[in-house]
Amino acid sequence: MKGKKSLGDFLASLTGLALTLLISFALVIALILILSKTPGKTLFYFFIGPFTNNYYLGNMLNVAVPLVFTGLGIAVAFKSSVFNLGGEGQVYAGGLATTLVCLALPVANGFVGVLLAIIAAMVLGGAIAGFSGYCKMKWNADEMISSFLVSSAVVLIVNYFITGPLQDPHNNMLASLPLAHQYSLLKLFPPSKLNLSALFAIVMAVLVFFFMNRSHIGYEMRMCGLNREFSRYGGINVSKYLVLPMILSGALHGIGGGLMVLGTYGVLYEGFSAGMGWNGIAVALIAKNNPLGVLPAALLFAYLDAGAKAAMLSGDVTFEIASIAQSFIFYLVTAQALYSLVHRRRRAA
Amino acid sequence: MSNSQYSVPLVFNAVEIMTPFLLAAIGGLFTELTGMLNIALEGLILAGAFFSVIFAAATGSLFLGITMGILCSMLFALLFGAITIYLRANVFITGLATNLFASGFTIVLAFQIFHTKGNIQFPNIPPLPSFSVPPFLQRIPILGDILFGHNIIVYIGWLIVVIAAVVIYRTPFGMRLRGTGMNEQTIISLGLNPKRYQLSAILISGFTCGLAGAMLTIQLAAFVPNISSGRGWIALVAIYLGNRTPLGIFIASFVFGLAESFSNYAQGAIKIPVDFILALPYLITIAAMILYAIWRHARTGK
Repeated sequence: MKGKKSLGDFLASLTGLALTLLISFALVIALILILSKTPGKTLFYFFIGPFTNNYYLGNMLNVAVPLVFTGLGIAVAFKSSVFNLGGEGQVYAGGLATTLVCLALPVANGFVGVLLAIIAAMVLGGAIAGFSGYCKMKWNADEMISSFLVSSAVVLIVNYFITGPLQDPHNNMLASLPLAHQYSLLKLFPPSKLNLSALFAIVMAVLVFFFMNRSHIGYEMRMCGLNREFSRYGGINVSKYLVLPMILSGALHGIGGGLMVLGTYGVLYEGFSAGMGWNGIAVALIAKNNPLGVLPAALLFAYLDAGAKAAMLSGDVTFEIASIAQSFIFYLVTAQALYSLVHRRRRAA
Repeated sequence: MSNSQYSVPLVFNAVEIMTPFLLAAIGGLFTELTGMLNIALEGLILAGAFFSVIFAAATGSLFLGITMGILCSMLFALLFGAITIYLRANVFITGLATNLFASGFTIVLAFQIFHTKGNIQFPNIPPLPSFSVPPFLQRIPILGDILFGHNIIVYIGWLIVVIAAVVIYRTPFGMRLRGTGMNEQTIISLGLNPKRYQLSAILISGFTCGLAGAMLTIQLAAFVPNISSGRGWIALVAIYLGNRTPLGIFIASFVFGLAESFSNYAQGAIKIPVDFILALPYLITIAAMILYAIWRHARTGK
């Protein structure tokens, strides 16, 4: 179906992306050289550390799992030209909903309990994001700003639950009571934390891909994303597609948070999802909002995260070094000049 | 009046608290008028906050500290603006990048210098000088107590609002700035470069956000990670609520200042979990934003 030109575009965007990543990683190397007293060791930990044993490798893959969900959530919204900047709160709220269900039903059958918990996470995440979509549809209130503000309030309210009514009195960490054992997901790669949710993530990416590209609703969502006015003339109910992508986006974020609690922690930690929402945006952008592209993009981000954690072990750099690299990916990933630079070179060659 | 005993300090504090919102929003107004939604305000405030307190502590001079804070914030703005405008990147995404970068960079640097990721105290920083007025002004009932006796940045903020209004409405630069936002082609047809106006606007927002951030940390004589805590976003809402005019922004910022002053007061008076108190500014901002949208929607017709 696709002609030669689109293959060329694809290659150009891939080279532009490579340039973005190259610059961002070069920055990390420069920072480590400046900041670390043992730069060789730190660099080794940063780049090779995540692959040195099964534990690190499994944990790295496990970090990618929620990023797949948040990346998919953002891709669905951005493809529809709806901007969800509230991912942080939606992931966190998903974790809360899951915890509440599991604590409320301590003796339920494991499968039923997990299913209900995930549905609760989905509903709460979807409702929080859907609220901003609804305000946009009804009164044209900017969904980008409102979703961020709602999310910031949600984060604080979830904190209240963790440090208040749900707190485990026997645990010194700021965390809820632990969830019952029958709700924990099957570990795939012990002793690492990689678990069944990784398979859910892959299945979900495929499902979202088919939904966006092969279903009627997905088609209308993409059309609204390309040109809302044109879609209106084409007879599409465009206001519906201000709310629906937000709900789907929030629901995906919620699931991501719920699965983190069930699969990784077994308990609701304060701040467990910090950064997941923002990184989801970067993941979606790297994937060019393609649901299948989200999988490798999430792995890339998980690698950065795991690298920074490993580098921290060498002692003299802090984890936030990863967020500097991530911010530069953000800076450059949409920079058209980088991509057209490659275009021009290609044509000249 | 017995209730003025509560309401005067409430309003006095509001005037103080509103200043960082006001400064950030006035800077954001310039970028807004050139047609760019400036999400980076949050990160620029943070950069100003961090560097001003660091330099103030290192040099022992408030003036040098604040100046360096503003300069560093403008450097962040330059990075943001250059990538957005000259590398033609999406302004929302580069704005997010700036916030992320400022947050990560300040923590990495704080860890490197002070070996902590927590709060850093600078007890030797002198307090911000307050602006003294002749006693007859101070004696004006109620208004005298509310308007005078604040620190100097509050008044600089008011001055900046006036200057901004003059620049935006009464100078060729301001006209062209607004022209860039209305129709870029017109500016190009005049032989001018719209990119230059966009970059200037971003640098102006770096300036005002730097000052806003400086006020936060210098007043505390401490740096708290992510001390901007949503102020840049609330400032964005203030720009909308203020109908994109300096006076409107002043009023909107005052409302937010009053709301936060009230929630501080509530914290002492009523037993509410601290997380709810912290969430209150966001909730009030969302409510204000939606009410404004409903009002505008009703006024412009269905």
